[in-house]
Amino acid sequence: MRTNDGLIAATLGALAVVAGAAAITRKSAFGSAVGRRHQPTVIAARRLNRASGLIAASTLLDSGIEHYRGAFHNRAMIAPLVVSALTLAVSAHGTRDARPVAHRLRDSVYAGAALTGLIGTGFHLYNIGKRPGRFSWKNYSWQNLFYASPILAPSAVALAGLLGYYSERLRESRSTGAPRVFGLPAGRALAALTAAGLVATAGEAGLLHFRGAYHDPFMYVPVTVPPIAAALLAETAASRPRKPRRLARWWLRLTTLIGFVGAGFHIFGVHREMGGWRNWRQNVLNGPPIPAPSSFSGLALAGLAALGLIEEHPHA
Amino acid sequence: MPDRYPGYDVLSKRNTASWNDASRQVIDARLAIVDSPEFFDERKWRTLRAICDRIVPQPAGRAVVPIAAMVDRKLADDHRDGYRDARLPPQREAWRRGLAALEAAAQARAGVAFHRLMTVAQDALLRDMQCGRLDGPEWDDMPADLFFRERVAHDILAAYYSHPVSWNEIGFGGPASPRGYVRMYFNRRDPWEAAEAKAGHEAAARDANENM
Amino acid sequence: MTVESNQLHDALHVPRGKDGRAPDPLRVGGWMPMREYREDEAVDFVIVGTGAGGGTLACKLAEAGFSVIGMDAGAWWRPLEEFASDETHQDKLFWTDERICDGDNPLKLGSNNSGKSVGGSTVHFAMVSLRFRPEWFKCRTLLGYGADWPLDWREMWRYYGEVEQALKIAGPVTYPWGPKRPRYPYRAHEINAAGWVLAQACEAMGIAWTETPLATISAPRGRAHPCVYRGFCVTGCATNAKQSALVTWIPRAVTAGAEIRDLAMVGRIEVNDAGLATGVHYQREGQWRFQRARNVVVAGYAIETPRLLLNSATDRYPDGLANSSGLVGRNLMAQTNQGVYGVFDDEIRWYKGPPSLTLTEHWNYTDTGKDFFGGYAFMAQGPLPQAWVSTQAGNRGLWGEALLREMQQYNHQAGFKIVGETLPQERNRVTLADEKDQYGLPVARVTYSLCDNDKALVKHSIDFMSRGLDAIGARDIWAEEDDTCHLNGTARMGDDPATSVVNADCRSWDIRNLWICDGSVFPTVGGVNPSLTIQAIACRTGDRIRQLAALGEL
Repeated sequence: MRTNDGLIAATLGALAVVAGAAAITRKSAFGSAVGRRHQPTVIAARRLNRASGLIAASTLLDSGIEHYRGAFHNRAMIAPLVVSALTLAVSAHGTRDARPVAHRLRDSVYAGAALTGLIGTGFHLYNIGKRPGRFSWKNYSWQNLFYASPILAPSAVALAGLLGYYSERLRESRSTGAPRVFGLPAGRALAALTAAGLVATAGEAGLLHFRGAYHDPFMYVPVTVPPIAAALLAETAASRPRKPRRLARWWLRLTTLIGFVGAGFHIFGVHREMGGWRNWRQNVLNGPPIPAPSSFSGLALAGLAALGLIEEHPHA
Repeated sequence: MPDRYPGYDVLSKRNTASWNDASRQVIDARLAIVDSPEFFDERKWRTLRAICDRIVPQPAGRAVVPIAAMVDRKLADDHRDGYRDARLPPQREAWRRGLAALEAAAQARAGVAFHRLMTVAQDALLRDMQCGRLDGPEWDDMPADLFFRERVAHDILAAYYSHPVSWNEIGFGGPASPRGYVRMYFNRRDPWEAAEAKAGHEAAARDANENM
Repeated sequence: MTVESNQLHDALHVPRGKDGRAPDPLRVGGWMPMREYREDEAVDFVIVGTGAGGGTLACKLAEAGFSVIGMDAGAWWRPLEEFASDETHQDKLFWTDERICDGDNPLKLGSNNSGKSVGGSTVHFAMVSLRFRPEWFKCRTLLGYGADWPLDWREMWRYYGEVEQALKIAGPVTYPWGPKRPRYPYRAHEINAAGWVLAQACEAMGIAWTETPLATISAPRGRAHPCVYRGFCVTGCATNAKQSALVTWIPRAVTAGAEIRDLAMVGRIEVNDAGLATGVHYQREGQWRFQRARNVVVAGYAIETPRLLLNSATDRYPDGLANSSGLVGRNLMAQTNQGVYGVFDDEIRWYKGPPSLTLTEHWNYTDTGKDFFGGYAFMAQGPLPQAWVSTQAGNRGLWGEALLREMQQYNHQAGFKIVGETLPQERNRVTLADEKDQYGLPVARVTYSLCDNDKALVKHSIDFMSRGLDAIGARDIWAEEDDTCHLNGTARMGDDPATSVVNADCRSWDIRNLWICDGSVFPTVGGVNPSLTIQAIACRTGDRIRQLAALGEL
């Protein structure tokens, strides 16, 4: 890729992502239009679209940067970019769609994203195993966990797809009582899924911050705040709440916030590498990954959707 | 010799993040070295240039690296290496003596100055020097093989490989600060590194190198 | 070269540690306040040399509250603005004053192993930070060769830990050899292709390998940037990622109240009638001056240390100071540094990243299958073009077309070099030559010959590494048979004044206020780079001096 082409593509991509993210998080999409008239399942579904879109935006940028770093040496490395971009697009569509029916295109894009994430995980596992030549279990070393294809990264794509797919199922759920998805109580199942996603993402942050030797005390935040959010969600999923889960709600909001604040920290991190932003072509790749922390925000939004469902329907 | 990195010019990175001010100053000064002697007299200068042409035969159709002048400046400054084999005199004296002795050998063997010899004959003389087969009063106990290794080859090659033209030839990245490198694995190239011409894909390499 | 811009050489001509301030190497154009001592006022310690030994000790002593002056013959650099990415220019970091080398295997010094700047050789070292194998501290008793150290490995293990923390060494999560050690403060760097070649070869040969513990940070630290993998490590780190004495111990020392005098060449230690050192004669700004001191520490590394001691001879000490054993200058040990190289179809591009990102200490910790005493580590390599051509031409005698063709393989080349143990021999020594240097001081004559054991070790290593390269499909494998690296010995420590120059505390047996604290004190060298051990000894010496002072035994 030539410098200028790459630069233009990267800039356009970033702008698209920011616009998309702005569109899904825009309050007006929910504001006055969202009221008592709408079914709680649809509200939750749209919140999930928003969560899915945010995670997709994060994975689009992150896989773009990381696979560029890997020089797109395998053509399949373009796949997560395409899939994340599509997921972002349909999520933006979903947040504006108040109909209580699944949308076929959204549905298939989400399913495709979930599948891509799984296949990607397989690719990454295989890739690590054969470094630097022959396949061996010994290759799953700290060195390769730190610097080879990140094992957990593709699952973020899968998560975006899964949450989106779940949102479609939620829209479809016709039951007059507590909504169910895949035969499970919808809110609880979503809370459990989100909790698992938070734990996995915190695990990845933990691994990479361990690589960075926790040189800054703030690096402990993503390995403490999100797991607590996950625990609160799990506890909610396991119990039959009678009153609003105020602590869980605020903790999830805090987790949403730290995702964005984390991105800010990472932007500063790139600046404090050698050459700062003037050396952006190296530092964006070798410095802290700017888009990564916003995955926490996406997941926390999904957790809030789950909480909404559960609070609406004690049996959801 | 095939052009392994067609179109690659390390100087094209001069105004990028790969070069800091210090590197720019140093390389600019090196490129400004004038191809004439400050230390050697005219006669030794001609011998030195002829030797440089054989130690580093520079391809035609390319700007010539003034290797002899770079060696000459090292001696003009008497910039030493920090060690000296006890069998050698200090570098200035070693060079003066060695060049005079090589001239004497050329005169004795062919009756002409070293720089007028055919390249084959020059190579033969240099090989004899390398193997320690040259001796005589001009050497004054300085072993010819040691002079060849520690001064001739050492100083001439250090000069050539301090010049950006040689870096282009071998695909070296050249100055790298503040920006270093990102892609560390086998067969991975950062966009600011030389692209190697693979058989059948020379044009792609040239394209990459010229648009760095 | 003449025309190369002079402002990048300013530090070589005008002292910077003056007028109550010192350069702050971590900030462009930065200064920090520095305490100054008068020359006629005796300081507690004057330390000659500010590298791995002297720089570390200056910090420890200043932090313990002693008044300290560190003197260095070299310049006080500002890496961020004064280090070019250029092998020739960065010669300014090396000791390029004349030294005369003889013996069967005359050494190569200068850029190979000798620094001349505040921070000493740590400014240009390859950052490899390894601990000794515990048995080496008692290698005469336990392994049957060399000489025992007067130090206990468990105590050294603690000091290694202190240095690793101070330098934020980036190393593997678990180290495959030796007793348990604490986790390295920073994580290992990403391995480059040249490093993976070593990993593959070790796997093929069935031995362990690991990421090299390096004194270059893999994550930010204070104002220092992490490594950018520019590959110019041995010509000085312009990133300040390298945790040299220049950016670690020295700023700490200055903050704690030490004074560092750059461009201060010490030529002579003064001794009074009572047989005690009273200070040092040094040249600065073209003048010979005298600094009074209650204690003198010599930390000039294995050549300058004996040179200074020998050159300080008096009527009372006609063979030089601290030399009643006759061992000052003797037992010089240069570690062997042979290499093997091969060509690969893959692009390696070994100029990227620190040169030795992986290593194996297998032959340091394995005692079977050897026909020699001692051990060696071998490491991945990444020579820059001038270093590489010097290897090619110097060892294979290549020139002309043949050389240019070979040099074109540069990006496909990979190889390993050893850091090999050599045995102490009294015939390997530093003496004074008749020739004088620019200060008017006699230059050092360095005499070196390998013994049969050294040669057997080298042969073993070349054979093993060649088989490793062959096993992973390298082509055109060849061996670099003639190279050495670090220098140690020449003022060994021991328990007996008759067979050593200093005791375990680095205090000379002959003159109780004269100390030696650098690689000179090593009785043996082991098969690892010495810098970490030198710093650990300096930390220990600092603690011991504090204890002795508390006991009134200084």
